[in-house]
Amino acid sequence: MRDEDEDNGAGMISDAARRRYQAIVPPHVDEAFALARWLSGSAADAEDIVQEAALRALNALETAIVERPRAWFLRIVRNAALTWMAKNRSQPLAFAGGVDDLAAIEPFDPNCDQRSPEALLIAAEDGERVRRAIAALAPALREALVLREINGLAYREIADATETPIGTVMSRLARARATLAKILEGQP
Amino acid sequence: MSDSDRRDDRLLRLNAALDNELDATHRLELDRELEHDPQARAGLNRLSAVSDAVRRHAPREAAPASLHAAVAALARPRQATGRAYLPLAAALAAGVVIGAASQGLLVSSRAPDPVAATLTADFARAELADRPYDIASSDRHVVKPWLATRAPIGVEAVDLADKGYPLAGGRVAVIGATPAPTLVYQRREHWIAVTEMPLSLASGAAEAHSTALDGFHLIRWADRERGYVAVSDIDADELAAFVAAFRAAIGSAGGEAR
Repeated sequence: MRDEDEDNGAGMISDAARRRYQAIVPPHVDEAFALARWLSGSAADAEDIVQEAALRALNALETAIVERPRAWFLRIVRNAALTWMAKNRSQPLAFAGGVDDLAAIEPFDPNCDQRSPEALLIAAEDGERVRRAIAALAPALREALVLREINGLAYREIADATETPIGTVMSRLARARATLAKILEGQP
Repeated sequence: MSDSDRRDDRLLRLNAALDNELDATHRLELDRELEHDPQARAGLNRLSAVSDAVRRHAPREAAPASLHAAVAALARPRQATGRAYLPLAAALAAGVVIGAASQGLLVSSRAPDPVAATLTADFARAELADRPYDIASSDRHVVKPWLATRAPIGVEAVDLADKGYPLAGGRVAVIGATPAPTLVYQRREHWIAVTEMPLSLASGAAEAHSTALDGFHLIRWADRERGYVAVSDIDADELAAFVAAFRAAIGSAGGEAR
């Protein structure tokens, strides 16, 4: 199937687009893979998703003007992940609904603060627990967290990559961290 | 502002502080707040512990090599596997390639070596940045000393303007850790970069090897104890003609001090 893609899809691509592709896409494969893996939950799926995204990027580069290459490619990866999950999973990634509501977080609840700074620090030492907690986040929160903490994107780039206003990015990130803290402070 | 709005606002600011996204004024404001407010400090510590845990336990791992290879291969022109040297072969058959044929021009489809990969990437980057050279000058007496102060080996900046390749400038490519002087010539709207390097970095063979890599054409050869690589986006046979002209000019400039 990939060979077919290359023949039918990439065969018509101009040299200029190929060169833009070489400058933009291969340098960001590690970041793309990390995002796809955390969104799909599987390394094998992530490989398929990134390949699909790379092909989409190559086709788009025939005409696209790219200002922020990293965010641009990660946006394609993210969209490829969404389509891929919708096609291949019984439970597609749910991005809609409620995740941007800051009111649901109570990080300065006195009980919450006094509850367990030690518990948090102890849990934070347990890699497996931390990774499970990240995987348990709602997709929109996980995505913001991965782009920020694992891929090191600035807010502006995250907003670009997720096609989301910057204020929403900020509240998702805040909510992702607060939720992680709560999970880690709870019982193992 | 309601209490809950204030709380939300502070939470966002703490996160933004952690992410270095606060401007100086807001950062100062928040620092003052943190001084007086133990709860805010505890909140920041908590966020910071979470952030730190994520970074430590979910570090970004490299994508599998197979994926890197697949992504890179996607935009590789089929030229690399056959189409590229058809025009060249035709040109050779017709005896069009000036000089190159007599000097034994070989076409190779071997896997690219690191020097070729480095110089191709360098060429692509320079072209993409619209800055094919670091010093712009058509005067070889300007380009040559500029390169001499930046690269360990001297370079022969030959004048090929009368052959249709005006000198456009020079830059320094870096191969591994070795700075290598690079001359940039112009051919219509295209660039041709010629990088000179010690023989230890070169392929060693005196014959010119032509390869295609990522949509660019490369020709490598060695002359007088120096290795050369020419990279361009012009056709393989045009590049061969350029290389022939360049080698002829270098040969006749042989007496010039090195």
